[in-house]
Amino acid sequence: MSYEMIAITMFATMLVMLLTGQRVFAAIGAVAAGAALLLYGTGSMEMPFNAAFQLFNWYPLLTLPLFIYMGYIMSETGIADDLYRMFHVWFGRIRGGLAIGTIGLMVVISAMNGLSVAGMAIGATIALPELLKRNYDKRMVTGVIQAGSSLGILVPPSVVLVLYGMIARQPVSQLWLAGAIPGLMMAAMFIIYIAVRCRLQPHLAPILPKEELDIPLREKLKLLRAGITPFLIFFFMTGLFVLGYTSLVESSAVGATAATIAAITRRRLTFRILHETVKKTLGISCMFLWIILAALAFGSIFDGIGASRAIETLFITNWELSPLEVLIMMQLSYIVLGMFLDDTAMLVIVAPLYVPLIVSLGYNPIWYGVLYTITCQIAYMTPPFGYNLFLMRSMAPPEVSLWDIYRSIVPFVLVMTLALILVIAFPEIALWLPEQVSR
Amino acid sequence: SQNGPIRWRLQTYSGAPLGAHVIKPQIEAFNAAANGEMEIELYYADQLVPTSELFRSLQNGTIDAVQSDDATMASPVDVSVFGGYFPFSTRYSLDLPVLFDRYGLNEIWAEAYGEVDGVEWLSAGAWDPLHIFTKEPINSLADMEGKRVFGVPTAGRFLSRYGLVPVTVPWDDVEVALQTGELDGVAWCGFTEAYEVGWADICNYALSNNVTGAWCGSYFANSDSWAKVPDHLKQLFRSTIDQSHYYRQVWYWGGEADLRVNGEKLELTTIPAEEWDQVVKDAEEFWEEIAETSERTRRVVDTFREYNALMEKAGIPYRYS
Amino acid sequence: MNKENAAAMPRPIRIYVKTVDWVSHKVGLIAMYLIFMMIFVLLADTISRNIIQMNIHWAIEMAQFTLAAYYIVGGAHSLQMGTHVRMDLIYGQLSMRGKAWVDVLTSGFMVFYIVILLYGSISSTIYAIETDQRNFSMWNPSMIPIKLIMVFGIALMLLQVFSTFFKDLAKTQGRTIDGEPIHESSEEPVV
Ligand code: NA
Ligand code: NA
Repeated sequence: MSYEMIAITMFATMLVMLLTGQRVFAAIGAVAAGAALLLYGTGSMEMPFNAAFQLFNWYPLLTLPLFIYMGYIMSETGIADDLYRMFHVWFGRIRGGLAIGTIGLMVVISAMNGLSVAGMAIGATIALPELLKRNYDKRMVTGVIQAGSSLGILVPPSVVLVLYGMIARQPVSQLWLAGAIPGLMMAAMFIIYIAVRCRLQPHLAPILPKEELDIPLREKLKLLRAGITPFLIFFFMTGLFVLGYTSLVESSAVGATAATIAAITRRRLTFRILHETVKKTLGISCMFLWIILAALAFGSIFDGIGASRAIETLFITNWELSPLEVLIMMQLSYIVLGMFLDDTAMLVIVAPLYVPLIVSLGYNPIWYGVLYTITCQIAYMTPPFGYNLFLMRSMAPPEVSLWDIYRSIVPFVLVMTLALILVIAFPEIALWLPEQVSR
Repeated sequence: SQNGPIRWRLQTYSGAPLGAHVIKPQIEAFNAAANGEMEIELYYADQLVPTSELFRSLQNGTIDAVQSDDATMASPVDVSVFGGYFPFSTRYSLDLPVLFDRYGLNEIWAEAYGEVDGVEWLSAGAWDPLHIFTKEPINSLADMEGKRVFGVPTAGRFLSRYGLVPVTVPWDDVEVALQTGELDGVAWCGFTEAYEVGWADICNYALSNNVTGAWCGSYFANSDSWAKVPDHLKQLFRSTIDQSHYYRQVWYWGGEADLRVNGEKLELTTIPAEEWDQVVKDAEEFWEEIAETSERTRRVVDTFREYNALMEKAGIPYRYS
Repeated sequence: MNKENAAAMPRPIRIYVKTVDWVSHKVGLIAMYLIFMMIFVLLADTISRNIIQMNIHWAIEMAQFTLAAYYIVGGAHSLQMGTHVRMDLIYGQLSMRGKAWVDVLTSGFMVFYIVILLYGSISSTIYAIETDQRNFSMWNPSMIPIKLIMVFGIALMLLQVFSTFFKDLAKTQGRTIDGEPIHESSEEPVV
């Protein structure tokens, strides 16, 4: 069998297994183990377990459970309620203001955690019911929450960029800085979209009655205090890291501690809540880490039977594509794979094949990390497979149907695609900030 | 007897940028000369198996051959303590092949690995000298205190008595760990490698005192894989190993001097002579500690002593002090 | 329970499922609190390094060992909680019994993967014991304890896969292993 055939067979088998609905880690692991036994030769039985030590050596993965823990603790601290009230009062009188305020809330939440889970949980439990109660259009607001929470992986800190950094061998601090401006730009684009849409179709977003927001300016200013705790958490975690006081993994421990202290000082932390938090953290961490375990085995077996050679031959030799065409093909393949595959698995399996190619074509791997992350954000929201879709489905109130959820993401996916194109056309959007800091 | 060429998977301890010099030319030469009878596929650090499982993977045939020092791959033999950097065992990179070829280390290594099933030790060669590259300068032994450096175990263990903290991360992650603050420097290589790999871009200072003159690395093969190779290809593989040893002698020897003088990325610092003399003295004690671990390690340490005494007597140009 | 439910699974299977579920749950409880061990070790290093200029050189390594124990040993409980994602393009459309049938039919993949992992972990542990393998570092800790923990975690995962299989098998008949009927609405969500 040629290398191309092996590569195609392995991917095709994996996609078929994923389609059966068996757990993602098991489907990938089974293909990896099967390919090893059939094609690798002597010593193949040990390969799947060897991946456990590859994972062991990737110490930045320590940030993963800690960020997940922090995200859950944060939704329990009540920080989000205060923030929501602040945005609510300050933006309530603008057309679409509550939806705009929700994006603001999501940006602040994103600056305090590295995944989209916390944003989804806070958005769906705090913002969504309030928005629906005030007769905001349900399709628009479910879209706002899914899109806004996806900023969690682009605005630093970001777990996706940590994983990317490990695979691409790029410094996480530079990647995080590179994600900051595109993240804020994308938030601004969401806000512009909401404002324009609500101006054109005012029935989507009724303005709040004056009496609801009739608060003296002093009280209004007082509400800004809600921003203090998030700022402190951001500073202790990301600030100290970028300034060089803490290392990456230490920063995640500092962040987890800061969030726990915030919860304790607000008297929100009961033993029951703590127990629920560590239980959910274990569940989500295991989901990610078992997928990474299986995907690492898949990757090294794919490599060991020579199939990874096929990718380069395919893109560069056979199709004779220009660098930009290769880049576009890669992003398209992510979107296609993202339909079937979880983004972590996609990253661990595909990025080791793509990143060297990107570097050899003369592109900047830090910039590519941002492109990858935006693509992931899109994948999170596009059916059939997307974390934010899953979460929205399990958390949305009954009046929001599956069809509403699917329809809600369309305009936001278009805005994200536009952001992706802008970052491709103007790499400085991503690279300016890291260049300033590394100087 | 079989269809198609013999295929081997060889994994090196090094990442791709360094591998381009320390092994890739050899593998390309071997594959070209083998003329389709045999093909070696080259894999870099952690690509197929994690370095911590390298020896076991070689032993059970997951990989057919390895290029690494004995210490990094944690060979379960007593002499593995001498792999990589053993403090002050050599002054120049030519010392190492002389020790192996003329002073009996070849026989000692063959004997040690002969006691382990499944693995053939093929050959040892010299790499670069050990210098310490850091973000903050080292101008005295006291400056070593608390610095976390990427380092090989034996030299690292020795230097830890001066407060240096050797940290182990996968080779490919060193650059990132320097940038993210997990590491303050590297005690792993000489100037050539520091520049080639990019560590010189992140570190600012180079300590000119060298702790060891040459890194000691080896080639290994899985016994069954080796037995299946016909004699003429075995000879070809051994010849290309010697070619690789020679390539490294030239590349490192030339690179070290050139980059000390012309390299602009690193500022040189030196530890005062009286302090450094103490380090050299401490190393004698350290040698004795290692010699006491087994009868075979004593033979190796005695060989180092005998060789270095002879070199001192030979004087200029072998030794200047 | 004196009265045997006619639709119940055979008694040995019920005992097996309940025992394994109980063990996975208890072990999971221990695993989930290891998160504080990771936080504690890393925080201690941050503080001692920045404030009293003292390195805890084994901190990251200790945290790495803890992470390995955390997800491997917690694996069985996470399977029990149903937190592993699935590609649910088709699966999501199925009824509870349909899902159970698919799980029964495809659980062989999972068994296969875990068995190979178990084989590898045992082989790796035997090597560690025979050669007194140590981690390559300043701390130089033995690899035997963590490898034994991993073997235990993977073995428990395998036992849990079979337990899940029996429960799915009962679910194909719309029942629990004790033969009680299950209603569609009582299913857990995907995430
Ligand atoms: Na974030
Ligand atoms: Na998707």
